[in-house]
Amino acid sequence: MNITELFKLAGVVIVVVGLALRLRTTLVVVVAGLVTGLLAGLPLLTGAGVFEGVPVLTKPGQEGVVNILGRAFADNRLMTLFIVTLPAVGLAERYGLQEQSARFIRRVSAATVGRLLITYQLFRVLMGILGIRLLGHPAFVRPLVFPMALGAAESLAGTRDADTLPEREVERIKAGSAAAENYGNFYGQNLSPVQAGILLVYSTLTALGYAVSLWSVVLYAIPVATLSVVVAVAQFLIFDRMLRRRLAGPGEGGA
Amino acid sequence: MTLRLTDITAAVFSLDAVYILTGLVLWVFAWLNFRDRGNRNRRGSALFWLILGAIFALGSVMPHWLTGVLVLVLVGLDGAGRVGHKAHDGETTKTGQAAAKEHSLGNRIFLPVLLIPVLALGFALVFRSFGGDTSRGALVGLGFGGMAALATGLALTKGTAREAFEEGRRLNDSMGSVIILPQLLASLGVIFAASKVGDLIAAGIKGVIPGESLFLLVAANCLGMTLFTLVMGNSFAAFPVITTGVLVPLIVKPFGVDPAMAAIITLTAGSTGTLMTPMAANFNIVPAALLNMRDQYGVIKFQIPFALTMWALHVILLWLLIRLTLTA
Repeated sequence: MNITELFKLAGVVIVVVGLALRLRTTLVVVVAGLVTGLLAGLPLLTGAGVFEGVPVLTKPGQEGVVNILGRAFADNRLMTLFIVTLPAVGLAERYGLQEQSARFIRRVSAATVGRLLITYQLFRVLMGILGIRLLGHPAFVRPLVFPMALGAAESLAGTRDADTLPEREVERIKAGSAAAENYGNFYGQNLSPVQAGILLVYSTLTALGYAVSLWSVVLYAIPVATLSVVVAVAQFLIFDRMLRRRLAGPGEGGA
Repeated sequence: MTLRLTDITAAVFSLDAVYILTGLVLWVFAWLNFRDRGNRNRRGSALFWLILGAIFALGSVMPHWLTGVLVLVLVGLDGAGRVGHKAHDGETTKTGQAAAKEHSLGNRIFLPVLLIPVLALGFALVFRSFGGDTSRGALVGLGFGGMAALATGLALTKGTAREAFEEGRRLNDSMGSVIILPQLLASLGVIFAASKVGDLIAAGIKGVIPGESLFLLVAANCLGMTLFTLVMGNSFAAFPVITTGVLVPLIVKPFGVDPAMAAIITLTAGSTGTLMTPMAANFNIVPAALLNMRDQYGVIKFQIPFALTMWALHVILLWLLIRLTLTA
């Protein structure tokens, strides 16, 4: 392998360093793209139209990195198309969409922490299937799921004061609440043809010359989504057993 | 002059029509931002949404270099800290949620929101019955679903269009410039692919794995995707690179595999990486802060056993599905 080939990985280094330094992600991503393209020997611009034969900035017969950026950004507009639904979603939120969703979740009687997290994950998968985007962590996990999970843990421990619960277990309950959101969000969203992941697969394969349908991509997302629920259910039930051992009062925790 | 009805229908119900519609919505957001005198960044923010709207509305006819330059202006504005908000009084609460009106519509409030997926599916079915592209149908349905949902919502809540666009803008602003990140990451992936970064990874894989072992190639493909995601913090930039560099040349082409099947499973193999990396701050680090966790890596630690199990299942599933479809 030629050593100059490795310079192409500069973009990866830029992303890692840029994000570690907490620079604006958008800027880091685009700079990484430009630097990688130029180091790989691509010209800045395509030598066509107004830029026909311009020296330095163009190279004959090669697409410029700025052109690639523009083409790819325009091709992937589908990923951001959901903006067109924001006025409708915003209006529904103003008239109680979130509150009604919260009521919907609260009505589900889930006696244990694990079962509650499973229920929330399934709710999140359902939202994914319907193509509904949520800012799940701030909108549901923090104000709703975690407090409900904590409540379930309190009744397990036979206390009404969360401060008496061991800190290590409370930390794990917090982590589990955030994880339920991520599991449901990541794998549930691929069950809708109008969500970003499916659209990325579609636009990438189309650009490579494969005529695929959004629906066939969704179809092949079903096995993984199903597995994600099965594995998460196993994890949350094991989590429940661990909590029972650590939190349950004397007489309940035996065997 | 004869304009046939089918031509007009085709133009109205096209993907470009939905892009233009989205551009118009963004221009309204830009205008509302510009009018917002309480925001010190109002000019920068307005310009950002104005340009993004222009890319949406005109992206299909603009030369690519111009779109590219406009994208550079977008990230330049954002990088200079000119996009975004000083906190507003009024409707916005700390979590970015709207304060609900007193009266409750009960479950009827779900109606407009559910209309969007229903119309996406409905349009796909209608497109199919006319011999059209069902993928396009779903996307056009998303656009018209958004408008139909708005109309239904207005009728149901007796709210005003102004209210709807103010709320839409609130949602838009709460995401801010991050809204274009998936699109930017996909573009980064395309640039990486054009720079043959994927070939570099493929060369590495070919160096260690004998060409004929499907199982090892599948495992290497998933491993490459996950590792690249771990480093980049997002599967969306890794995906075009691994797909063009590894998946298609090493698995899809030589074995004649269905690209849709192989690609989506490769993408979600990347998602297992997202669950394990602090680089994916929005999903792993920010929630830990939001929940006042002592250990900022607590969420990741909880997710690791799940992610590793899922990763192994991805390899087995992809290998199995390829074997089954090849022998069928």
